[in-house]
Amino acid sequence: MLSRRGSGWLGVFRAMASPCEVHVDDADLATADRVVALAAEEALRIEAKFSRYRRGNIVDAINTAEGRAVVVDDETARLLDYAARLYELSDGKFDVTSGVLRRAWRFDGSDRVPSAEAIAALLPIVGWDKVRWRAPELTLPPGMEIDLGGIGKEYAVDSAAALVRPLSTRCLLNFGGDLLALGPQLGGAPWHVGIESVSVAGAAVRHIDLTVGALATSGDSRRFLLKDGKRYCHVLDPTSGWPVVGAPRSVTVAAPTCTEAGMLATLALLQGADAEAFLEAQGAQFWALR
Amino acid sequence: MQLKKRRNAKLREIGTPLAAATCALLGQAVPGSVQAQELMPWDIDTSLLIYSESDGRVQDTSLSLRARKEMREEKFLDLSLTLDSLTGASPSGAAPAGVVQTFTNPSGNAQYAIAPGEQALDPSFLDTRVAMAGNWQMPVGRLSLLSVGASLSDEYDYTHTGINANLARDFNNRNTTLSFGVALANDSIDPVGGSPVGLAPMLGLGDTSNKRGDESKDVTDFLIGLTQVINRHTIVQFNYSLSQSDGYLTDPYKVLSVVDPVTGNPVAGPAGSGLYRYLYESRPDSRDKQSVFALLKRDFNGDVFEASYRYMTDDWGVDSHTAELRYRFNFGTSRYLQPHVRFYQQTAADFYQTVLFAGAPLPAYASADHRLGEFDGITLGLKYGQATTSGNEWSARLEYYTQTGNASPGAAVGSLANLDLYPDLNALIAQFSYKFGRR
Repeated sequence: MLSRRGSGWLGVFRAMASPCEVHVDDADLATADRVVALAAEEALRIEAKFSRYRRGNIVDAINTAEGRAVVVDDETARLLDYAARLYELSDGKFDVTSGVLRRAWRFDGSDRVPSAEAIAALLPIVGWDKVRWRAPELTLPPGMEIDLGGIGKEYAVDSAAALVRPLSTRCLLNFGGDLLALGPQLGGAPWHVGIESVSVAGAAVRHIDLTVGALATSGDSRRFLLKDGKRYCHVLDPTSGWPVVGAPRSVTVAAPTCTEAGMLATLALLQGADAEAFLEAQGAQFWALR
Repeated sequence: MQLKKRRNAKLREIGTPLAAATCALLGQAVPGSVQAQELMPWDIDTSLLIYSESDGRVQDTSLSLRARKEMREEKFLDLSLTLDSLTGASPSGAAPAGVVQTFTNPSGNAQYAIAPGEQALDPSFLDTRVAMAGNWQMPVGRLSLLSVGASLSDEYDYTHTGINANLARDFNNRNTTLSFGVALANDSIDPVGGSPVGLAPMLGLGDTSNKRGDESKDVTDFLIGLTQVINRHTIVQFNYSLSQSDGYLTDPYKVLSVVDPVTGNPVAGPAGSGLYRYLYESRPDSRDKQSVFALLKRDFNGDVFEASYRYMTDDWGVDSHTAELRYRFNFGTSRYLQPHVRFYQQTAADFYQTVLFAGAPLPAYASADHRLGEFDGITLGLKYGQATTSGNEWSARLEYYTQTGNASPGAAVGSLANLDLYPDLNALIAQFSYKFGRR
């Protein structure tokens, strides 16, 4: 689980359906081991608590409440506040209740584009504006669901970073491509990060030196539908139920926190063809691949 | 590129509230910082070019390497290196004759003979050239781009050094770009065997009494350019340029035949030399050129059409027109085919003379260099390019050039009337290029 990498250590584990890495530079084995263990525990804790695929967690309780109010804990309340704020800031394009659209859309590389009727039938159970959120009580109309998966991985990186910071700042957390450097390596050397090509898996097309802060990437070139020459990307606009048109195949954003970087990347993709213009309007540092 | 510059009013600015909300989520009192820097690769462009003139004339094999790297804050460094190997035979300027003609080569230590009726080609043409250039480009303020560069080339008898600067400024929502450029060059010429005195006769073996030492010239170029985006598909460009050359502008290896004004036959040269009479050419020591250039580039559903025209006029009496058309057929995003056609036409310099006549007073300046004569040239070419899956690109280009020209008026007297005083020139150009990135 822990191996020597140059002057530092690399720990690997799987969480949130992704390979995760923790690089620790300039540390003894015991410290490195503790850093990796803390990060892995935090990733697995967040996955267990917020995964919509797990039974018995808070998300499951909310999604199976059948119209009853659910009282949530502080951490969940903060995530729901955040989701509500993103819904406002994105004019309804970022919506944690949009996951049910996946019942119609399956982005498996096939040509199975759902019928307009199937999509229209789902729209009545999509929309944060239909939810009653008065912290700490959340009430979903029957049939509706929430999915915090769009925030979870980046949030896990930032949460894990906060836990390991007292032990070491010479480390880089990488949870499935969303990553954060707490600080540079020994001697101030930056971490060398590659952005994967959208056409050749595993090939890096951009190389970034990250000294401190986070990089998050949205977009997945391997999740799409192709019908009659038209490509349907997996980013769905919850206001219409259809994929956004003209979005880059991948957007990577740099920001102080992984959550902020990830949300900027996701909101940019939701702007479709205006993704780059949107990020420029935010003054964000980004790399888009088309 | 246009997309990047377009300001979209409907895009909300949410950076600050998003950062604040994220701090609240993560329980951070103050936002952290980010320091990320893209590590740009060297974009390397390599090419092999072969230029081959028919009938054993000039052959050039050229290898070039160009490396470009984006540095911090949109600054670019460009470096290039070119190696040329020139071989073959070059026209000496002498007219063909009905008899065998003997010439002393430029070094004065050997002679060569040209058969009756044949074009006089100096077979000792051989050179290797090394050229280097560096350029630095940086933004100045938000709307201007400054580039400065230096160039150096060296061959056996010629050394060039140059510096240049260009400032471009965007106006009108970046739809208009105005640019100003200046380039200064100082070239020194150290001809094999020395630089001949203008209009002095070619001498026999070993006699270099009319050759002098090395020479030099200075060239100053000014350019004003305007680029205008017409719409999303069309862009036009206009340039005006002025080029002033001062110094030694003569080709030290070119001569003119002196012929009998009635028979057209060569006349005897210096006593005891065994040569006919050939005078080294002489050109004015300054030349001012002005040119205007217009380019239209248009996108047709992903294909690119490009048309350009250039008019050049100078105070030597040379006027030229160049028209070029290119059409790039893009097949998907990774392959393209680009046909190219170029038409060129020029008038002769005032002092261009195919031959000099014996007994006539010598003009101040005279040259029989075909490049200063009246001629038309046509280039037809085809280029194919393909991107590899790893993002590199190779391309191959094949072009054919054909040139036909005319002797100076009144030159075809007597025996010269039956000889080809301006032989056609045909050349093939083949180029293979490979572009790749390297960190």
